[in-house]
Amino acid sequence: MKKILAFLMILGFASSSCEPDDICDPTTPTTPRMKIEFYNIKIPSQLKDVDNLKVIGEGMTEGVVLNPTATGNSKYLANGNTILLPLNTEADLVKYTFILNFDNDNPLLVHEDNLEFNYKRVNSYVSRACGFKTTFDLNEDEPFILSDSTPSDPLWIKRVLVEQNNISSENETIIKIYF
Amino acid sequence: MRQSLKYTFSFFFFLSLFFAKAQEKAATASPPPEIIVKGANGNTKKEKSPEKKLETVIDTVKPKTDRYGLILGVDVFRIARSFYDSDYKGIAFVGDYRLTKKYYAYGEVGSEEVTVDDPLLNTTTKGAYLKVGFNYNAYTNWLDMENLITIGVRYGFSTFNERLNTYSIYNPHPYYGQTSATESGKSYDGLTASWLEVSPGINVKVFNNIYVGFSLQLKVLVTNTEPNGFESLFIPGFNRTYDGNFGAGFNYTVSYFIPIYKKKVIAAKPTTKK
Repeated sequence: MKKILAFLMILGFASSSCEPDDICDPTTPTTPRMKIEFYNIKIPSQLKDVDNLKVIGEGMTEGVVLNPTATGNSKYLANGNTILLPLNTEADLVKYTFILNFDNDNPLLVHEDNLEFNYKRVNSYVSRACGFKTTFDLNEDEPFILSDSTPSDPLWIKRVLVEQNNISSENETIIKIYF
Repeated sequence: MRQSLKYTFSFFFFLSLFFAKAQEKAATASPPPEIIVKGANGNTKKEKSPEKKLETVIDTVKPKTDRYGLILGVDVFRIARSFYDSDYKGIAFVGDYRLTKKYYAYGEVGSEEVTVDDPLLNTTTKGAYLKVGFNYNAYTNWLDMENLITIGVRYGFSTFNERLNTYSIYNPHPYYGQTSATESGKSYDGLTASWLEVSPGINVKVFNNIYVGFSLQLKVLVTNTEPNGFESLFIPGFNRTYDGNFGAGFNYTVSYFIPIYKKKVIAAKPTTKK
């Protein structure tokens, strides 16, 4: 009988075990960001690093965190050849200002261009812990609008290519920017 | 859920005390049958004295019969929870029909309506379930005790519908702010699930024919028709679903034993004599 009692107790504790599926695993694919790669306009097959690129959404005061490992203001600055841009889960468009050589001492090197992305949103179920995710489909017509900033300066972005319209993973390149 | 588990445990500790007492009782109760048995043995010699005759009459009647019938109960925890938990409405009836000395046929029917409020999802599941199986009583009762310490195996089937009340978008990089919960109200009907469960439990006769019982259930899903583009987060009778197919639950029942017939246990008695 003691054995049975012990068994019952063990079962009781086992059933109370903390619920590990309550916390969304960060490796679970949820709402993705849009992956942008930068290429050399002179050698189009070659990836090219940007210099102190800062990206700010329209109406936002702070830039997008492009370098999460850095501290202070440098976390908003990208110096690699890829960035991940978040899209708005509550609107069908985002408008970003791309500032190259942000805060450079030489104002002639600082270039500002605007890129607007138009898309459709789809909400789909992930899991109990992660709830739903939003995936995006860039519009077939006019997926993006490239425009110059005000005051006008020469466009630093020479060409934009849509590699893929469906944004469901952060591993796939969606946009290629040539400069 | 956490609260219910707290009660589960307090009930467990209460039970552990009860077990100890039951055992002690059994120990003190054990000598009398031996004495009686000895008396029964010697009754051929002492038949002449009229006083002993009376004794033998009592002896032969008392330990020889087992009562067979139906133990019909209701899950009082579910009824109680229906009162204090506004997110829960449920009822369950359980029945044990004694087949042989040790085996009982088991049946359970119930109905549940549960609103599950997860951090990102809020769903309401409503449905009914049926469980059939058997219980094996591992407890050796002394004299006229009729307690049960059982291990049971059941198959459960549930039919239900699930309504998604609200959901939230999980966005690990909320540059534009975290989306608030979205109203949905989408209903997923005609869902079914079935599962196997193993259930250890006890059922103690507290007085007359009234039983108080507690059983735990460990379950594994066999079939589950998942709603299209969603998931069954709660299955009536099975409880909350976890990653993987496992689940757990418990019953806390108060039952009434309806005796149907008595069976003499003559076969068992000679073995104890010899």
